[in-house]
Amino acid sequence: MKMKSKIVSIIALGLLIVSCENDDNFPKIPKGDYENGIIITNEGAFSGGTGTITYISNDYSITESEVYKKVNGEDLGTIVQSIGFNGEEAFIIANVSNKISIVNRNTFKKLGEITVGLNNPRYFAVANGKGYISNWGDTADENDDYIAIINLSTFAIEGTISVVLGPEKLLGKDNVLYVAHSGAYGTNNKVSVINTVTDKVSRTLEVGDVPNSMQLEDGYLWVLASGKPSYTKDETGGVLSKISVQNYDDIINYTFSTTDHPSALGIDNDEFYYGLGGAIYKMNIEDTQLPTTAYIENISYYNLTIHNNKMYVTDAKDYASNGSISIYNLDTKELEKTFTTGLIPGGVYFNN
Amino acid sequence: MKHNNFLFFLLCFFAVLSSYAQKDSVVVLDEIVLTDAKLTLFSLGNKKQVLKDSVLSKNVSFTDLLRYNSTIYFKENGYGMVSSPSFRGTNAQQTAVIWNGININSQLNGQTDFNTIVTSNYNNVTVKSGGGSVQYGSGAIGGSIHLNNSFSFNKHLENEMRIGYGDFNTQSLNYQLSIGSKNVSLSLGANYNLSDNDYKYLGTNQKNENGAYKNGNIDFSLGYLISDNNILKLYHNTYLGSRDFSGTLLVKSIENYKNTNVRTMLEWSNFNDKKINRLKLAHLYEKYKYFANKNRSEYAFGYANSYLFNYDYKCTFPNIILNGIVDYNYTDVIGRNIEESNRNITSLSVLMQHKLSSKFKYAFNIRKDYSEDFSSPFLFVFNGEYSIFNVYDLTFSASKNYRIPTFNDMYWEGAGNKDLVPETSKQVEVGNYFKFKNIQFSVLGYYTKLSEMIQWRPISTEGWKPVNIKDVTQYGLEVEVRATKYIGKGKLIWLTNYAYTKSIDDDNGKQLMYVPFHKITSNLALSYKKSEGYVQLLKNGLVYTMTDNSNELPGYTLVNIGIEHKIIKNSTSLGIKINNLFNKKYQNMAYRPMPNRNLMVQLTTKF
Repeated sequence: MKMKSKIVSIIALGLLIVSCENDDNFPKIPKGDYENGIIITNEGAFSGGTGTITYISNDYSITESEVYKKVNGEDLGTIVQSIGFNGEEAFIIANVSNKISIVNRNTFKKLGEITVGLNNPRYFAVANGKGYISNWGDTADENDDYIAIINLSTFAIEGTISVVLGPEKLLGKDNVLYVAHSGAYGTNNKVSVINTVTDKVSRTLEVGDVPNSMQLEDGYLWVLASGKPSYTKDETGGVLSKISVQNYDDIINYTFSTTDHPSALGIDNDEFYYGLGGAIYKMNIEDTQLPTTAYIENISYYNLTIHNNKMYVTDAKDYASNGSISIYNLDTKELEKTFTTGLIPGGVYFNN
Repeated sequence: MKHNNFLFFLLCFFAVLSSYAQKDSVVVLDEIVLTDAKLTLFSLGNKKQVLKDSVLSKNVSFTDLLRYNSTIYFKENGYGMVSSPSFRGTNAQQTAVIWNGININSQLNGQTDFNTIVTSNYNNVTVKSGGGSVQYGSGAIGGSIHLNNSFSFNKHLENEMRIGYGDFNTQSLNYQLSIGSKNVSLSLGANYNLSDNDYKYLGTNQKNENGAYKNGNIDFSLGYLISDNNILKLYHNTYLGSRDFSGTLLVKSIENYKNTNVRTMLEWSNFNDKKINRLKLAHLYEKYKYFANKNRSEYAFGYANSYLFNYDYKCTFPNIILNGIVDYNYTDVIGRNIEESNRNITSLSVLMQHKLSSKFKYAFNIRKDYSEDFSSPFLFVFNGEYSIFNVYDLTFSASKNYRIPTFNDMYWEGAGNKDLVPETSKQVEVGNYFKFKNIQFSVLGYYTKLSEMIQWRPISTEGWKPVNIKDVTQYGLEVEVRATKYIGKGKLIWLTNYAYTKSIDDDNGKQLMYVPFHKITSNLALSYKKSEGYVQLLKNGLVYTMTDNSNELPGYTLVNIGIEHKIIKNSTSLGIKINNLFNKKYQNMAYRPMPNRNLMVQLTTKF
């Protein structure tokens, strides 16, 4: 253990020297107050109120709540669902307010907003130089769900792509946009593949029920579906699907037992991590079987994010008080630090 | 086994009662005419504030009536929208609304939306502080609000018409008829209210765009003295409402909510000066339709039917009053997200008042419910009143009360929890009442321990579910001052209430959300010859909007003023009222602004 930490510190020292040299050659201008750190979206109260942004610096020395309000003097809107990035720009989505606030990710200064053409917006992604936003539409209508297409220089909505029920997470790569359909207030088991040159749905793939997260790695699209929960009275187990992006018919499904509902598929150094039943599981990308024993026990989370060998676990407490975020080292499995967040911390993002 | 013992005890009790009861009759009509005599007989230790006609007519809504005249705090989702009370630091389900003696809280969600009750046809509205579950059932924890009709058996005919118009296109139309003879008494009231309710959100350029409401209401009460010993009474209330639900500062709304309440009760009493036999049959119907998008045809709905049978035997001895009650309640509910379900509850109660001396009396009441749905605790009240001096009364009360799980709690599709147990509350209260010639005042203190509070929580993989999760300690102080002074031909009345409320979550030691530490209401009215002027003042302390008290709404002070002038003697008067005189920006629910200054004109005529 000691030996290891010595090695780490020597390496760190080396990095420091290298970075100092860099600084000497090219004096680095700070990009903003929120440049190096963790960005957390807090949903806020559903019944009326605003979501907020919490910032924690990478060295854990600075934490700041209500960042957006402090910088811009206004509220973000009700239920801040997620943030999507386009280079330096952050698209902050307020789901119930049907509003997207666009800010510089390092300064959080507002650059613009989108308030027209959204109906229950969920997530944002970029592909082929365009922005895409998943929208549930009217929740009473199962046939009006769509993807809004955004012009990234004017922030105007330029068109829509009609899709099947409940488009949620998005993943953009080159000219392809993958849409996971969790099913909004119902359930669904589809992934739409959108050609972003024509902006048409080119394929609809069947995956497990309620796909909640996607990763693109090694020429494969990995989709983790949680299965239908017991209260639907049609409980199904989770499924991890490995789909070849060369040939979408090439699908391998790893199925969980009917009462197992995994979520939050993350990847770091060719290792997948996901949460299931109050524990974290780890699976190598080459593995051909689901792990049977937990990697870290006793972790329950509202949001789970894997990033650079660390695990970020948020806790929404009683959903009516400030939540918290706990940061674990994935190697040592040790808890590094816990910070207070805002109300219902639902998303974790990184400015490096 | 326990049940059997109690039943046996009750049987003996009734046997004793009937053998003592004497048959010779001197009519005790006064009590029979009251719809809810138990309110005064067996609740000696609780504070009861009676709001009468003159106060009822000054406030258009039930929420406003209590907001400006009692210590109850209201959370309103915008003016006229869903309104839930917090009485002595409790939540909306822990305040019972009692209509002519029966509990009318919703069977679906356990609470009364105070903006769906029209009070102007009731003869009085009584605010009773503190627990009263033995008499009034589930939810009478923080207190209960009693809506009472009364009867007058004498020859009379009165018609009253009241028309109001005000800002935001607020209109109200009220008609009341009272007619009677030696043995018949009939009252009828009809009301229609509507408003665009599009007030400004002060400090912004927004308006309350989707807040229009309208409602129609009919109350009917008929009393018929069949003979000197028998009376038949029929009560009816129908309410129909439609409201567009207001948005917030950050969300525009397109919601609409329609609801209907129909309540009917038939009551027969056979009485003489020693005993009263009373049989009540009632039917309560409630229905709602909620449109998440009012431009579409889809809606969520729920309705509930309750049938009530209540037999009550009361017996009076020189110093003792005994009362036994058997109550049976059957409810069925149907709704879009609720399992079709029904529930039977039988309850037995025994009430006793004993006058020990001319200065001291006490009451002891017990109740036990039987239901297949949940196990119910044994409830009791022990209270009393001691006149220490002519000017000073001391009261005390100790009670155990409950709130049963609602149909939503137990049968919500995919979430209902059938293992819930009732919330229980144990409380003690001491009151000091001082009565002088021109001034009366009271100081009360209470302490309450609430256990097994039901809250909806997310349970991993199961979604949101109601669970018995919280214990709360509540204590506080209530002061009421009422002063009357005659100045020449003028009369001055000043009525002030103050409440200090602590409602502490036992887990984290924090004040519950939306419970103000301080609330003051103060009303000053001056009448002189044909005119009356009045000022209503409300001072509300800050409330927390999060359970860890990390966010709050600031306190505020509001002033309303009004004037009424009789333009035709004994028949017609004109009133003008300005609400929110100083145009204060305030919210009692976060992000939901309340109205700016507004004016209301009212014309009342009797014929």
